[in-house]
Amino acid sequence: MHTEKHHHAFEPKIVAFVCTWCTYAGADLAGTSRMQYPPNVRVVKFPCTGRIDPVFILRAFQKGADGVLVSGCHPGDCHYMAGNFHARRRFTAFRALLDFVGVDLNRIQFSWVSAAEGGKWVEVVTELTERVRAMGPMREFRELDMEEHWSAHVNTPELQAVYNAIP
Amino acid sequence: MNQTAQNLDSAPLVDETYYAAVTEAIRAEAARLLTDGRVAAVIGYVAGRRAGSALPAVITTPERAGELIFSPACRNNLSVYLTKPKQDAVPKGKLAIVVKGCDLRALAGLLGESQIRRENLHIIGIACAGVFAANVDQSLPLSEATIAKKCRECTVHLPKEVDFMAGTLPMLPQLAPVEAEELARLEALTPAERWAFWKEQFSRCIRCLACRQVCPFCFCTQCLCDRNRPQTVENSVRPAGNLSWHIVRAMHLAGRCAGCAECERACPMDIPLNLLNRKMAEELKERFDYEAGLSPQEKGPLTSYQEDDDESFIK
Repeated sequence: MHTEKHHHAFEPKIVAFVCTWCTYAGADLAGTSRMQYPPNVRVVKFPCTGRIDPVFILRAFQKGADGVLVSGCHPGDCHYMAGNFHARRRFTAFRALLDFVGVDLNRIQFSWVSAAEGGKWVEVVTELTERVRAMGPMREFRELDMEEHWSAHVNTPELQAVYNAIP
Repeated sequence: MNQTAQNLDSAPLVDETYYAAVTEAIRAEAARLLTDGRVAAVIGYVAGRRAGSALPAVITTPERAGELIFSPACRNNLSVYLTKPKQDAVPKGKLAIVVKGCDLRALAGLLGESQIRRENLHIIGIACAGVFAANVDQSLPLSEATIAKKCRECTVHLPKEVDFMAGTLPMLPQLAPVEAEELARLEALTPAERWAFWKEQFSRCIRCLACRQVCPFCFCTQCLCDRNRPQTVENSVRPAGNLSWHIVRAMHLAGRCAGCAECERACPMDIPLNLLNRKMAEELKERFDYEAGLSPQEKGPLTSYQEDDDESFIK
């Protein structure tokens, strides 16, 4: 079985924050079942979706992610009883906050993928990758990360000379 | 603006006798409490050195009770002195505290989060007509031109369930909301425009962390944003770290912040921080029917859950 290789102009970086009990096992199942899915996704394993702090998502974007996936156990299946219920509320609030700050929510995907849902994992990852690919690179955060903070504007030739002299 | 409108703007909202009456009531109550030894200290306001200004003060003797005042310059939310990081500033034992309606909401939050005990508090509520905005000339009277944004939309002029109420509320005119309009304006923008707005705002941040120090709910002994192993929020003053800091701050206050707007007042760069807090409060009210600060509640919207919470955004 060999699928045709596509060459794209842009390969997005997707960071997936997953819980070890369900989605990680689901992704593992997808692998052992030899299902094909985009290699753009980098999986980071956590004990539970309840452990996934919204700040991780911010940091992923700042360090160059184009899309973020957060995935864990279906409601009621949490290994720690209620971790995913808490995560659900937290990410509801976090999404609203990001939207208010002006982040495009299409770059963030939340999903429930159980240990038996290798197929769903493939589907979620493929859909997010293609969606982010169509959107292009996440410029906003990266530009922010490149930017230096100046309390004053470089608006005189002397300041400009000093600025240029910075190695 | 024409002359008539300007005259209307700077006309005093309340007369001096109201402040004199509130001040007198606070002094009498403080003196009574301290003389009887019922409290170890009264946390209130005293006059500052500049005309019209006020400072927070911890009064421990009945002789000094006469220094207490209430004026439109009494803006500080004193409940911050009841939190753990400020515990060295106040004596141990039962404390009396002077609170406005907005401060009482923060106090209710702290009670709900078990930071303080109700039986160790004697709450002196103020029938509050409003306080000054940041950066106004405090020698002027309180007027539509000098009143704080939060006071224009105040719903808690009279704090509820206090041990002692100082003063009576004068008749107050209905003022047009400013902050609500600004919030509505931002909400109507496209995400890209909102991003540009906040990018500009946060790029001014000098990370003095006054917003954190002045917040009654930022009582963690070690702030997540000060940690560097692992570092979650960049702590150098760069736009990237500034954005993270303000998002993390808003996120940690979501469902807890009761809108005293002290962060915005303390901000030396005039970043409209309360817009973020207010937006989160509105979202949580709409989604989880929760309003912070109405009464001490043990569980906030982000520390509890319902099994049938909305999950339409989850695949």
